[in-house]
Amino acid sequence: MTVPAPREGDQAAAMSLRGLVKRFDTKLAVSEVSLEVPAGSFYGLLGPNGAGKTTTLSMAVGLLRPDAGQAVLLGSDVWADPAAAKARLGVLPDGVRLFDRLTGPELLAYHGLLRGMEAATVDQRARELLDVLELGPGNRTLVVDYSAGMRKKIGLACALLHAPRLLVLDEPFEAVDPVSAARIRDILQRYVAGGGTVIFSSHVMEVVERLCSHVAILSDGVLRLHGTLDAVRGDRSLEEVFVQVVGGRVSTGSELAWL
Amino acid sequence: MAVSAGTFVRLKLRLMVNGMRGRPSRVALFVLGAVMAGFFAIAGYALFAIPGVAGDERVAGLMLQLGGAALVVGWLLLPLIFFGVDESLDPARFALFPLRRRTLITGLFAAALAGLPALSTLAATAGMVNTVADLGGALAAMVQLVGILGGLLVCVAVSRAVTSAFATALRSRRSRDLAVVLFAVLAALLGPLQLALLAGAERADWNAFAVLADVLGWTPLAAPYAMGMDVVEGRLWAVPLRLLIVAATIAGLLRWWGATLESAMVGTEGGRRAGSNEEITSPTGLLLGRRLPRTRFGALVARESRYWWRETRRRAALITFTVAGLFLPLSLTVSGGPAGPMTVFVGAIAAIALANQFGYEGSAYAANLTAGVPGRVEIHSRATAHALFVLPLLLLVAVVVGAVSARPERIAGDLGLLLATYGVGLGFVLPMSVRAAYPLPESTSPFAVSSGGGMAKGLLTIAVMIGTLVATAPLQILAYTLGGVWLWIGLPAGAAFGCAGYLIGSAVAADWLDRRSPELLAAVTAS
Repeated sequence: MTVPAPREGDQAAAMSLRGLVKRFDTKLAVSEVSLEVPAGSFYGLLGPNGAGKTTTLSMAVGLLRPDAGQAVLLGSDVWADPAAAKARLGVLPDGVRLFDRLTGPELLAYHGLLRGMEAATVDQRARELLDVLELGPGNRTLVVDYSAGMRKKIGLACALLHAPRLLVLDEPFEAVDPVSAARIRDILQRYVAGGGTVIFSSHVMEVVERLCSHVAILSDGVLRLHGTLDAVRGDRSLEEVFVQVVGGRVSTGSELAWL
Repeated sequence: MAVSAGTFVRLKLRLMVNGMRGRPSRVALFVLGAVMAGFFAIAGYALFAIPGVAGDERVAGLMLQLGGAALVVGWLLLPLIFFGVDESLDPARFALFPLRRRTLITGLFAAALAGLPALSTLAATAGMVNTVADLGGALAAMVQLVGILGGLLVCVAVSRAVTSAFATALRSRRSRDLAVVLFAVLAALLGPLQLALLAGAERADWNAFAVLADVLGWTPLAAPYAMGMDVVEGRLWAVPLRLLIVAATIAGLLRWWGATLESAMVGTEGGRRAGSNEEITSPTGLLLGRRLPRTRFGALVARESRYWWRETRRRAALITFTVAGLFLPLSLTVSGGPAGPMTVFVGAIAAIALANQFGYEGSAYAANLTAGVPGRVEIHSRATAHALFVLPLLLLVAVVVGAVSARPERIAGDLGLLLATYGVGLGFVLPMSVRAAYPLPESTSPFAVSSGGGMAKGLLTIAVMIGTLVATAPLQILAYTLGGVWLWIGLPAGAAFGCAGYLIGSAVAADWLDRRSPELLAAVTAS
């Protein structure tokens, strides 16, 4: 797979994290994470549960203030100049509620107008997104009554609406059925082919192996490995590398004998 | 099955302790709560023990029955209006466990008893035992001890049953109006009671009080607290009857609670709109309607006003404000007092709905943060959406109070005072909503707060009321001294005063929000 040339700058990083640290009470959640996400890459952030993926991404997009370190998005520091950094950024947070007492179309209109878009543009793009993601453009169900998969899809639509150049997605494939997952993969691949940059977190190896040009592995708040997919996995499968790096234990067969 | 009530109590205490671990602010709140509960307990004990020390049987009968009834009414109303219910044990969490309803109810009930409010109530009422012992000896004291234990059970059961029922009623949109009516009737009942008390106090007519107390003594409100005096005054036959009243009341309340609890656990939500693919209209049109501007401000106002209707907590806040706003000034004017001071209360209550405005939607605020909404726009749009609901209600309050007190010339001046207190109240509340935000549990009950949250809510409410009272005192004095002139200048002066208060407060809040929005997001995200 050839990485398409980015539209602006040449090898400028779309996202650049420098020495991010976050401490909750006494627990060090993220320790000195530095990561360059090249423009035009499809970047997978891997890690077991509790590794600090969500914390890292939250600090990167300006939702959580880091104790130390810097996050630069598309050339602007997200903490020094938030308006510029956030203008062309799309985020799908995980474990964060949506404004779920709105219907799907209302929620999209809300996000579009918050981004300062023209009402006509919002309407046209919102209808298209609702149609492509099979959410039903005239659906009057409140988002709170959506299924988990539908909620992911409307969240993704909100993140895409203003045509960002950088997409940060936290667990975009969790709880999504196979058909919808294929649709989302398709949209994201076309987005990257068009010069956009995607970084997403996941703990599903197959998805990452199929989609990503670059991979980083995070565990216990420390960045263990990062680089292009081929460089990271070498001649083994990604899962083998992952389990070895993270240090998972192998079943001996004697535990849970009663089961 | 070894699930005893003790398991629930231990679970609740464990949740309480874990909730405080590593959070000094929660520990501080808890300590403050404990101090206030202790103060209440000591003051209550002293008050109830006085008649015994003085050796006055008549006063003792009066005090025990009226005081006991006041306690029960307090347990009934305070959670609805001020403090919320500590739902650290959310019934919905137990839905998957194989627990019989009886086990669950006893467990939750026991857990509800294991708390500061219940402890301090018990300690306060222990003063009654003291009094009865002074007047009638050991046997009477024993009976009164049983009485106050029964009374405590009634208090806790009534507060749980009523909030649970009210929450269930509010959840279904169809029966929402019924709940409004019920609550209004409840509040309306307070009016006549208050009038009777005031009338009695004015004439110092102790007989009227004594009759009222004796009547209350045969209702669940005061029956548990009247037993000891029965022994003292030689009416032994009355004790079993009162015990029966108490037991039947507790059983009935628990049964009622159990019924509403079941529907809360399965989360039945009647009247939800089913998804329908109607004719496609434009998404922005759906959000904004015709009149709102197609801007960031318009979108924020539209979303907020939707939320005031569609979210149960906010709806409950609006309903409480409407009922309290109408009935409090009314009951005061009917009894002949001036409505002026009461407007402070109404305006402040209206503003308090915004005290934890960011807590209502919790982590959903992340969307606004990612979109980079400036603090000024955020604060003004939220206040605007709230004012869209509150301003007509304030007008209604002023008109109704003017009409009922048969002094329509006062409407403009009263409205001026209302606007001033609402504006100043917002001025206090908006900065507070940025700095003192706390997470609300994702519970189905609009009254649920996490452990310690009830304390925070109550404290904020009191602080805002005192602040508003002090800040609008000059205006109140003016209104009182100017008399006739105030009727003319009241509205513009009050509106200007309120505007000034709002502008100062919102500017501070906007500035804080710009600097602390990630911290605010962390504060309202339930951990």
